[in-house]
Amino acid sequence: MSLAAEAFVSQMAAAEPWPENATLYQPLKEDQILLSDCASSLAVQAYLRMCGLPVQVVCRANAEYMSPSGKIPFIHVGNQVVSELGPIVQFTRAKGHSLSDGLDDVQRAEMKAYMELVNNMLLTAELYIQWCDDATAAEISRPRYGSPYSWPLGSILAYQKKWEVRRKMNAIGWGGKSLEQVYEDVSQCCQALSQRLGTQPYFFNKQPTELDALVFGHLFTILTTRLTSSELAERIKSFSNLLSFCRRIEQTYFEDRSS
Amino acid sequence: MAAPAELFCWEGDWGLPSVSTDCLVVLAYAQFAGAPLKLRRTSSPWRSPSGCLPALRTEQRETLSRPADIIIHLRKQKYNADFDLSAKEGADSLAFISLMEEKLVPALIYAFWIEPKNYVDVTRRWYAEHMPFPLNFFMPGRMQRQQLEKLRLLRGDETLEAGDELEKELFRDAAECMNLLSQRLGSHKFFFGDSPSSLDAYVFGHLAPVLKSRLPNSKLQQHLKTLDNLSGFCCNILLLYFPRDGRDASSQKTAPQPDGGADFDHVPHKRRKQFLSALVALGAMLSYALLTGMVSIQHVQQGALEDEPAHLQPLGEHEDEGDG
Repeated sequence: MSLAAEAFVSQMAAAEPWPENATLYQPLKEDQILLSDCASSLAVQAYLRMCGLPVQVVCRANAEYMSPSGKIPFIHVGNQVVSELGPIVQFTRAKGHSLSDGLDDVQRAEMKAYMELVNNMLLTAELYIQWCDDATAAEISRPRYGSPYSWPLGSILAYQKKWEVRRKMNAIGWGGKSLEQVYEDVSQCCQALSQRLGTQPYFFNKQPTELDALVFGHLFTILTTRLTSSELAERIKSFSNLLSFCRRIEQTYFEDRSS
Repeated sequence: MAAPAELFCWEGDWGLPSVSTDCLVVLAYAQFAGAPLKLRRTSSPWRSPSGCLPALRTEQRETLSRPADIIIHLRKQKYNADFDLSAKEGADSLAFISLMEEKLVPALIYAFWIEPKNYVDVTRRWYAEHMPFPLNFFMPGRMQRQQLEKLRLLRGDETLEAGDELEKELFRDAAECMNLLSQRLGSHKFFFGDSPSSLDAYVFGHLAPVLKSRLPNSKLQQHLKTLDNLSGFCCNILLLYFPRDGRDASSQKTAPQPDGGADFDHVPHKRRKQFLSALVALGAMLSYALLTGMVSIQHVQQGALEDEPAHLQPLGEHEDEGDG
């Protein structure tokens, strides 16, 4: 989104309250969505639930192409479309809903830093495992990614995506990493998150913030998704406070609504 | 230990021990940890064992290139600048390093390699002047294409080009990142306690080039200068850990500015270039001579001892045949 448009959106957003018919778009949940997209989508849903903003989840096969930034998920609120967690957090703040107002400057700096840690290591590791591990790419990612399309198009799009991700991995220096090193990075990232969380209920004490939503989205998705190898989930399971953190958020924000 | 580990780095300038962010990170970490590395400053990536800079050739003749790998290797050799950190501080370092990689690195790539005026006036010029002869023609351009490709992949935009809107967006992220770092640093001397750690090395490596370079479009530098504690932090590390480079800069500062106009006279490897260009010219003349019928003279010379006119005639006929 351009800056001028962004400034305009935040002005517009301040004027209008949150509508009842807000929608969140993501790819088809059963046959199409991949681990990394699912994690990002769950993070946004958790964030909106923490804010107490109702949103209806809609699955579309072409969600990736509908999104203004090409990334998943995006929300459609009133007459505005916003994609990805960062911009969505700014958007809701403009509407007067924020989770991080109670933090001081240093805490806010730390929160942003930890959010980038999750994006930089967990999300990249998910992408690596999805597309650069040959077994996972062949058995899960490629068939699922191309599933809504008929034969040649599905494979072409899947291969295109795979090459794009691999080029990105080479550009950021992950191209030469082995799968074992990537798991090691995931462990390191979880170790850092676990240390930061300690025995607190949320990362910044009693109140959840967008960091909690992001961490929950990624960890919960990794724990509940079946891949060719369960190594990734096993790495997270060795941190008991992160597991209880996921369970806590699931119970507080997801279970009471469905029951 | 058979041979000491060797570290290959880009040359320094602008009062910095090296011009490249990655090299600065490694150099600063090695200084902080007191690792005894044999430093080789070069201006040719082909001199490095891995073909890119920085590169560390370890005692076991392995070659490491990523700053993170080099730091891990040094840590394993017991040169650990993070020894005093608590587990939580270690976690914070990791988080702030990620923050810089996500928010600051794209803006740095843009400022040094993509912004047209900065690239042409400073970056390309610096690399072209410092690289040895054949490399200086194509390496800067190739490096720029690599950086552009990297920025495109990082942003997920295949057709990304330099422009005001992109610049504003990237610089806004970078400014926010600097503000966050400044808030985290507060009034301390280093990020954690009294001694520098790997996070200090990363912050120094990323911010010192912004602070010390003289780019025509210096918005990032202007913003960094408003954050007194952060710019003071960089100068402080330069003074404490790289005192020689700082002094070089002050002595150099007086030198290049008076003869700024006579910059073209100063060409590195002048003799070699003159010799090579003479060689190329000679080669061109010779091949031209060989291709345009001068070959026939050699035939004439072979037979010259016997009877010149008799031999010239058939040759002339031969040429006519060729023409016809």
